[in-house]
This record gives sequence, structure tokens and C-alpha cells, in this order.
Amino acid sequence: MSESFQSSAGRKVVSRSSAKELGSVSHLLVDARQRRVATVIIGRGKKAQLVDWAQLSGFGPDAVMVADESALRSPSDDRERAAAAGKLELLGKRALSERGNELGELADVTFDADTGVLEDLLIGARRVPARSVLGSGSYAVVVDESQEDSI
Amino acid sequence: MLLMTASQIRGLPVVTVEGGEDVAEVRDVIYSPEEGRLVGVTLNKRGFLAGRSRDVLPANAIHAIGQDAVMVLNDSKLVAHEDAPEDVGHPATERNVLENDVLTEGGASLGKVADLVLLVGSSGEVVGYQIDKPGGGQGYIPLPAQLSVSGDALVVPNITEEFVQDDLVGLGAAVDEFRTRLGLT
Repeated sequence: MSESFQSSAGRKVVSRSSAKELGSVSHLLVDARQRRVATVIIGRGKKAQLVDWAQLSGFGPDAVMVADESALRSPSDDRERAAAAGKLELLGKRALSERGNELGELADVTFDADTGVLEDLLIGARRVPARSVLGSGSYAVVVDESQEDSI
Repeated sequence: MLLMTASQIRGLPVVTVEGGEDVAEVRDVIYSPEEGRLVGVTLNKRGFLAGRSRDVLPANAIHAIGQDAVMVLNDSKLVAHEDAPEDVGHPATERNVLENDVLTEGGASLGKVADLVLLVGSSGEVVGYQIDKPGGGQGYIPLPAQLSVSGDALVVPNITEEFVQDDLVGLGAAVDEFRTRLGLT
């Protein structure tokens, strides 16, 4: 099933073993190289916690399920600390072509809820396949230059 | 053909393709008037550490120059100026063509060089100069046109006078025709 970054923001994260709500989705961190969701960020700032995609038992339409509280962890490197601080959040990020031209703002990203594989980027009002993503960081999402012509 | 002046390139962020990070910004362009090409750019730091960077970016390490950013594959492309090729790390300042008088072979002054015009998208071929015309106002002349350059003046073929343009769009159209007339293409 297809999910979107925009609609999953704020979704509750629930422990399967205790049925307790552990927090809610702040945003999703992607692995640009593999073009998939790498980590779910829960909360924001110093209190932010992370869950790796592999630790999820389900990314459902109403809740994100994890086995138990132990699946949640703190940021472990600079990139994850930057993500916890909200610097790598994709929504609202500028999209740059490989040729150095701005294409617009990233309005949404869709992904497969079963696998975490990214499907499309919505840049402004136009849809671009996720395979065109070359890199993603605090300044911009960089996309393949052949996509520039379609925008 | 997308053309930009050197002053439009100054201040652009330098962004990594692989990382999506702004690792520096363009302080100035380093230009070789003899070769008519960009040899590299000097850099400023970004953000809180703003100020001159010790790193430079050689032209062959540039992935693309666009309207909104200079792209590099990753931050290993930035090199300390002491490790850079001589013409990038220690550019000769007397080669500066700005303010030089543009003289035709026939001895007419077309104006003074105000800025460089680069073909962007690639790593930055210099295709023209922006000039301050003798009678006031600005114009653009295509390159390669100069026959000799001294640091005070540069001498261009007589036909350059026919190709003086009022804007960058006009220059874009004129470059190819100009080169054809000179037998360069």
C-alpha cells in the first residue's frame, strides 16, 4: 500500500506487546542511496527517538507498530542528530537539479508501506520518480538532470 | 545556451550532488584570459563560520554551474589552495582583465571590461565580456575574440564591433554566429 510523508506525520507509534502509545511520528529519514525510508523519527529536538525501519512490525494507516519500547533508540551519529533536530526533514526542502537549478519545494513523498521503498516525489505540483534522487541533505534534495526537462 | 556573468556566480552555494549539503559558497571566479576559460573558483565558508575558506574548487572538479548553485559530486572535490594546481591555488593577479580597454585591431575602443560572461551547465567556458561602453551604458561582446591581452588592454578583431549586444540573450545568439564568421567552429 502506498503511503505519504505528509499523511504519516503525527501518526501514533504503538508498542505491540504493551499496546501503549510510545509517541507520534515527527518525520521520516531516508537513505538517498537506497531510496527508501531508513528511520522513523519520533518527537523532536533533545527528546527525539528513532526507530529503524527493520524494527517496525507494521506501518499501518492508523498506527506505526513496534515490538516494544526497546525498539526506540537515541540518535547514534551526526546524521541522525541532524535528523532529530529536524534539519533533514524532506517536506518543504528545496529540490535542486544536478545541473544546479532550483526545481521547487518538496511538497510530499510517497513510499510503499510494506517495504519502505520510495515511490514518487512531489516537487511543487509535479510528480518525479524517486529513482531520480541522487542525494539528500540539510540544504537540498538533488535530483537527476533528466528530470529537469519534465518540470 | 544559458549564460551568466561572473558576478551572478559569486555568492552561489556550492552543493554536493551525493550529500545535498551546502559545503561552501563562491567567493570569486579565477579566470585565464589567455585560454578564455574558468580555471576554478575561490570559496567562502557557509553559515556561522562565514568568511574566507582556505579551500578552492578547480574547474575540472565542478560538476555543473547552474542558476541557483554550483554542484560538486562530494566535498572531496574541494582542495586546500596549497594543494591545488598552480593556476588555481595561486592565480596571477596581473591577468585580471576587468577595467581593461577593449580595442579593435583598427584602433577603435569598444569600452572597458566590466564582467565575464560564462556558458553555464558545463564547467564554465567564458564566451564573452560585459563591457562599459565609451558613450555610457553596458554591452556584451563575444569571445574568443581577443588577439592579445596585456593587463591594460585587449585587442579584438574588427568584426567584434558588429557583434556588440545589449543583453545576455542577444549575446547567446551572437556567440555561434561570431565564431562561425571567425572560422572557429
